[in-house]
Amino acid sequence: MNVGEGYFKQRNGLIAVDIMAACGVMTAEQWFGLGQAARENNVFRLKMTTRQTVVALVPEENVERLVAALEPLGLRVAPFGKVVRPVKACPGNEALCPRAIADALGLGIVIQEKYVGQGVPKDFKIAVAGCARGCTDPQCADFGVRASGQDRFDVFIGGRGGTVKPVHGIPIARKVTAEQVLGLLDFVLERYRNLAQPYERLCQTLARVGEGQFQPPAELLASPGEEASEFARFLQG
Amino acid sequence: MATVKVEEINLAALETQLDRICQGCDLYNSAGCKESQCLVGFARKVLSFAAQKKLLDIPGASKLLPTQDFKPYYPEQVAGAIAETCRQCRQCRDNHSPDCVIALVRSALESALLQETIDYPGSVFLYLARIKEQHPQLAALLARELQKGRT
Repeated sequence: MNVGEGYFKQRNGLIAVDIMAACGVMTAEQWFGLGQAARENNVFRLKMTTRQTVVALVPEENVERLVAALEPLGLRVAPFGKVVRPVKACPGNEALCPRAIADALGLGIVIQEKYVGQGVPKDFKIAVAGCARGCTDPQCADFGVRASGQDRFDVFIGGRGGTVKPVHGIPIARKVTAEQVLGLLDFVLERYRNLAQPYERLCQTLARVGEGQFQPPAELLASPGEEASEFARFLQG
Repeated sequence: MATVKVEEINLAALETQLDRICQGCDLYNSAGCKESQCLVGFARKVLSFAAQKKLLDIPGASKLLPTQDFKPYYPEQVAGAIAETCRQCRQCRDNHSPDCVIALVRSALESALLQETIDYPGSVFLYLARIKEQHPQLAALLARELQKGRT
């Protein structure tokens, strides 16, 4: 077992192995394969988590065999601790959700593939939602993304859903493209790594150093009214 | 901010209402008809841009409203079209965007009649209450139009 991965000894002696897929989306083959591996390794229960991962409760002596069965299925043990956690994304895309106004699931998967497991001062949670209903609670995440149009997203930072002092994230960008979201995430992670004290969650860093330190430079934000400029030309035409 | 797609909005019904206003205009089909300088022309441009681009929200477009259009407009002439925007409104409430296509058409038509712009509350019922405060005659006409049902 690697330090920083999702293995947790339970009170009953079983090991909880936290297994991640593409933002919680699995094929039938993956579910079937996971079920088969679970049966073969005496997994007591499989539990779906709020971060869209699956926890398998397995006897300690079977952990390695279970984990070895994950890779051929395209699954892996989720990272844990002071890292970017698995991304929580809603099913918002053309195929899966009638309310989605942008491909939130696709963006969530891209973010997860690029950033999951990266080291940060404290756990860093990302949520992506395909419409304003915000099924994945983007304003309760360290970095929340909410679709606001076709390939347009609003970005919030510094949310924290848990603790006795939950915090809503603050908006740092409106109507940016998916590509710009990635640039903003790079910027926020870089600022967070440089400004945070050890074990300090982003909301606490924001409160201590001020929101201005996390104000993205203009080049990372949406060009002012791209559609408006096009519409202005259309209006005159 | 709307969470519906432009295909779900009956743009043709709005266009029909705007056509009716245009047909009563002295400048209709004349060299003096300039859509970019006319509130109704602006609304028509919004609809065709939305249809072409499949957009329900045109960021920044609300700032392009031709507020210098001082042609005379009458409540009876415009009420039908505003009522249609109420029918098409998805009542986004807290998620309302002033750059939503429906909101843009409604704002243009409001500007034709009202002294002050209405901060749209995201709900037709509340909207009518606010119109009534400023223009009771228009509120009554809108209520009547809405009772008629869909065009």
